[in-house]
Amino acid sequence: MAEVQPTPAQPPSQPPAPPAAPVMADPTQVRQVKEFKHNRPLFAARVDPSGRFVCTGAQDKLVARWDVDGDKKLELAGHESWVRGMAFQPGGELLLSGDYTGRLAAWRYAAEPPQPPVYTIEAHKGWVRAVAFSPDGATVATCGNDKLVRLWSAADGKPLRELAGHESHVYNVAFHPSGGHLASCDLKGVVKHWDLATGMAVRQLDASVLWKYDPTFKADIGGARGMAFSPDGAWLATSGITEVSNAFAGIGFAVVVLFDWASGERKQVLRPKENFQGVAWAVAFHPAGFIMAVGGGGGGGALWFFKPDQPNPFFEFKLPNNARDLALHPDGLRLAIAHFDNTLRLYDMSPKPAA
Amino acid sequence: MPFPKTTETLMSDRNYACQSPEHRISRRSLLAGLLGGSLGTGLVDAGLGHIAGLSHLIRPAVAGELAARQKRVLVFFMAGGLSQLESWDPKPGTDTGGPFRAIPTSVPGVHISELLPYTAQQMHRLSLVRSVNTKEDDHGKGAIFIETGRRDMPGQRFPTLGSAVSRLLAPAGAALPGYVHIQPGGAGVNKADAAFLGPKFASISIDNGKPPADLLRPDGLSPAADLTRNELRRKANQRFTARRRTADTEAYGYSYDQALQLMERADVFDVTKEPAAEQERYGSHDFGRHCLLARRLLEQGMTCVKVSHSNYDTHFENFDFHIEQLGEFDRPFATLIDDLAQRGMLETTLVLVISEFGRTPNINPGLGRDHWGSAWSVAMAGCGIQKGAVIGKTNDNGTAVAEREVDGRHLFHTYLAALGLDPKENYPNLNRPIPIGDPAGEKINELLA
Amino acid sequence: MIARLFARFVRLPPASTALALAVLFCLRPDFSAGQEPPLNALIDQQISSALAAKGITPAGSSGDAEFLRRLYLDLTGTIPTLGEAKAFLDDPSSIKRQQLIERLLNSREFARQMQRVFDVVLMERRPANRIPQAPWEEYLRQSFAANKPWDQLVREILAADGAEGALRPAARFYLDREGEPNVLARDVGRLLLGRDMQCAQCHDHPLVDDYLQADYFGLFAFFNRGFVFTPKQKDQPVLYAEKAEGDVAFKSVFVAGATDQPTRPHLPGQKELDEPQFEKGQEYSVAPADGVRPVPKYSRRAQLAALLPRTDTTAFKRNIANRLWALLMGRGLVQPLDMDHGGNLSSHPELLVLLAERFAVMKFDVKVFLREIALSQAYQRASELPTGVEALPPESYAVAQLKPLSPEQLGLAVLQATGIADAHRISLGPALNEQTLHERIAGSLAPFVNTFAGQAGQPEQDFQATLEQVLFVSNGAVLRSWIAPSAGNLADRLNKLPEPSAVAEELYLCVFTRRPTPEEVADVTSYLQNRAHDRPVALQECIWALVASDEFRFNH
Repeated sequence: MAEVQPTPAQPPSQPPAPPAAPVMADPTQVRQVKEFKHNRPLFAARVDPSGRFVCTGAQDKLVARWDVDGDKKLELAGHESWVRGMAFQPGGELLLSGDYTGRLAAWRYAAEPPQPPVYTIEAHKGWVRAVAFSPDGATVATCGNDKLVRLWSAADGKPLRELAGHESHVYNVAFHPSGGHLASCDLKGVVKHWDLATGMAVRQLDASVLWKYDPTFKADIGGARGMAFSPDGAWLATSGITEVSNAFAGIGFAVVVLFDWASGERKQVLRPKENFQGVAWAVAFHPAGFIMAVGGGGGGGALWFFKPDQPNPFFEFKLPNNARDLALHPDGLRLAIAHFDNTLRLYDMSPKPAA
Repeated sequence: MPFPKTTETLMSDRNYACQSPEHRISRRSLLAGLLGGSLGTGLVDAGLGHIAGLSHLIRPAVAGELAARQKRVLVFFMAGGLSQLESWDPKPGTDTGGPFRAIPTSVPGVHISELLPYTAQQMHRLSLVRSVNTKEDDHGKGAIFIETGRRDMPGQRFPTLGSAVSRLLAPAGAALPGYVHIQPGGAGVNKADAAFLGPKFASISIDNGKPPADLLRPDGLSPAADLTRNELRRKANQRFTARRRTADTEAYGYSYDQALQLMERADVFDVTKEPAAEQERYGSHDFGRHCLLARRLLEQGMTCVKVSHSNYDTHFENFDFHIEQLGEFDRPFATLIDDLAQRGMLETTLVLVISEFGRTPNINPGLGRDHWGSAWSVAMAGCGIQKGAVIGKTNDNGTAVAEREVDGRHLFHTYLAALGLDPKENYPNLNRPIPIGDPAGEKINELLA
Repeated sequence: MIARLFARFVRLPPASTALALAVLFCLRPDFSAGQEPPLNALIDQQISSALAAKGITPAGSSGDAEFLRRLYLDLTGTIPTLGEAKAFLDDPSSIKRQQLIERLLNSREFARQMQRVFDVVLMERRPANRIPQAPWEEYLRQSFAANKPWDQLVREILAADGAEGALRPAARFYLDREGEPNVLARDVGRLLLGRDMQCAQCHDHPLVDDYLQADYFGLFAFFNRGFVFTPKQKDQPVLYAEKAEGDVAFKSVFVAGATDQPTRPHLPGQKELDEPQFEKGQEYSVAPADGVRPVPKYSRRAQLAALLPRTDTTAFKRNIANRLWALLMGRGLVQPLDMDHGGNLSSHPELLVLLAERFAVMKFDVKVFLREIALSQAYQRASELPTGVEALPPESYAVAQLKPLSPEQLGLAVLQATGIADAHRISLGPALNEQTLHERIAGSLAPFVNTFAGQAGQPEQDFQATLEQVLFVSNGAVLRSWIAPSAGNLADRLNKLPEPSAVAEELYLCVFTRRPTPEEVADVTSYLQNRAHDRPVALQECIWALVASDEFRFNH
């Protein structure tokens, strides 16, 4: 593996320094380098700021912590249902995770043996669908089926604010890298831009291409399954499924919807050249400027790499199984992907060593 | 020489439908009970004023007695295959249980899915059968088995419960059709429901607020003109049948008078005529309005109402969609059960919550569950059914029935027995001997009150 | 004369009667009809002696108007026009009834009506998925127009595989049942042999001793090798094909530990067929291959076509005799028509045997057979009960049965009664003939079929009056538009008649095919007098009232 300059430790109160100039990741050379086996389908994956650990949620009640470069696996117990939303505290020692009973838990994830949560909060009525950390690590945002976005103090879980206004389940939430702003997206593709100084929704962006009411089955399908800001805050990406012709069979196409944050305009709908039947479950920006997304559907799993100005990926990589979440390692070279087949897989984009 | 004995009944008997003990009143005496006993097709008061079901057809005392004894059926059909794991038989925390919790109900020791909080408060009025194994995972065949009590076999078709009950229990003189199917976008007569019983006992599909086709008088036909032309018709019939009366001519002539009554009450199909407060309690979404419409029709004396709720065939995102669908279902359903109980109607109304099949314990890659006929649940309440009982069990993760396995045949026998009918008997007055229930079926005794 | 003597002995059980008849026939070297009473006379002898034995006095003969309407509906499916009605009613000839019978039997309309009737008998309104409805109807119509014997028609249908051009429509029987062997076993039993053996699929029929599981599977075995073959090329026709292998075995679900019993094809009550054995690889004349329809050297289907429609197959004769009888008389001698068995005795066992035998002797000539029934007194009886009689059992034939109009008859009769058919005739002008008129009005029957017919694939139901039907007549747009005046229709013509008595006469002749009684004329007159301000509307109400009445709805 290529050498990486270590990231200097930062006090939690400052935003993390941008990563040191990494070895250039080459997506076209992406390959699997490791597998971690769990015993239930995985649902979520995040890599901690130090790069030592990957934490996963699965179709069980556990948060699992895996050593990236070792064999250790710890289980963090304290949830009552599945965990899909999780976020590591930038510059801090906490992992916050939310489950489908509405419980938010804070973990000192590095502790060994694993400790019970520092605190738990019944954060939402119904599912917690996503958890996000402010760039300064002080605030946690959660969203869920009670149509609310809530803000909490990371240190002790004290409620800070409630952001109401969505009219359907809130699927995802993300902080703008500049700090004072938040984006949340609901089932019907309504993206709200919240000004955290005032707690007001200052505008709405339209990701309704990700939503469909299926009249045959009389149900709604939609939501931003994945959501991310680019590191420079210029772009907001939401991912999900579009052009659904049969909601109950999941017949629709995986797409990433890209917004110019400044103008609020939808700039691109990124999709594989040959439509991928399924859901784009997660999306992330690489500091080098490209966009990564993973999908799962009838055709298995796929990993896509997009440039923001081109609708089709510049590279597609077939994954061995349906993929549900994606996390970029701080080294900028490796990806942790949570798969349906109970397996967490690590992929490497560094240029392969010469033979 | 005497005529040879024939097993088939005289044609003249065929249309006298009342066979159950509660309904020995023949149509003749029903008519005789009207205004002075003149037989024939004259219903002089037809169309004048408001006539509400039986209660204005006959003397009040008899009306009350009949209404009290009249049995009804209310079927909730959860179209597509309701997941038993997300409803009646949750297995939280198991590899198959999904993310939802189980919640306690008004019956100590009985838990159902957290997606049905209001229904949980009505559990003391419901009973569950958790050990259904129909071995059927095809929509069409599953629906046939659960509704007709017999497996789908080529060349054979049997009546659904609603048609059977409409045939066996609907009062002969009722103006209301015996069997109505409330579904979004519904219209027309579903002849297949009635099979060999004939279209008279088929369900009529309606959507909220819209009455059956042609129920409303066309523009250009005034009520007065309708009355006078029907007078002409009756006169013609009186002359013709003076020396030619048969059950068929009576049935035909009388059907016009029934239709006239029904036209006067076309708003019985219009749920917006219920008080605003009631409409609010049930909710403005389709299913809520359908439940209120069902209550309205049952109160007016309809024998069988079937309400379909779409859709549950969640091969993808099973959990999200069950939140949405059961979120629509839970409160109006619970409200309706409670209302029926408060109005004293639950004792005489058999309520079923059924589906074509359940859903697989296995969760597929799309977070969906697939068709599953091997271990699933139905719920029942009301007439002849135990309260708060749970029949049968599945194993720890719901992958098989553990105790008291039953299928569509047993359930059908049970539906009929609950209504006081004998499923082992043949349909009366049919031109061939056909048993009502599958001869190989048995009622579930412990479910019956 | 000997036959009349013989008729006194009709109390003999059927088997002996058949034997006696056979003896009689053998004793008589000359079989020509001139030597013995015609069938219609024999029918009346049988019916009358049974009535006499019960001490029942039958109703007298129907009036001319009733006979006229009844015969037209039975033989042409619709009611006569105003002109046809007047012509018959005013005809003084004493043989006008026989002449009318002849004329109608030989009309194109008769073939069309037989087409409709037997389409429903054979296909029970199943959707035309494989063979379109039009060529199938034309095949039937031509068959009846040519007076094709019934056994030949059935032979063609049972032999059909859809390959041969002219007879392809006959394959509808198989193809639109998807070649499903259980459906075919049941339907061939019901429709061609008069036996509904559905319950015998799983075990001997629990309630009917004569319907054995062995017989069900004997029939089933004629069909188990059949299947619907879809060629690869889209424009090639779908065919009913047959494999050379596939054996049938059955066991009863009610017998614990039962073992499979194999069976070869056989008709009910007859022995299993001996079937040729072939060396492996030699069974086909066209071997099965991808996209190739196999043709076995030995075809079970061909055997069925040869064996079933024959004089020797008693059930075949009885079934058709019974059905044709029921068509005219309103009920079968065995009722229901598909429940012929020892526990469901015929109302007139000897008569049924006689009819079956005679029909075979006539070489299954439908027209001749129907003529004989139509000529009988029993057919021509009045439908009104004689005075002083409160009720008569329908199976006595002491009085004519009321028969509800079929959906097609109802539609056609309404078209004629309201004068819409007349308007079509006028507009067709010189191009008018049975075919062109049929093409004009056939589409108008669809709403009647939708509303008044039972479920497809089910045996015909007893009469029911449903809400949907009543609302169709009362409020539906179709009838309203036909009754409303339009050029040449009844309302239009009545509007132009100032005299109420003339109105009443035309109204009753057109709708009821009879003249009004004085009371009826008085009723119409006073109705119109009260409605001088909106007479045209009142006239439409009068038309409606008669069309909606029992007298119209039923054939009497």
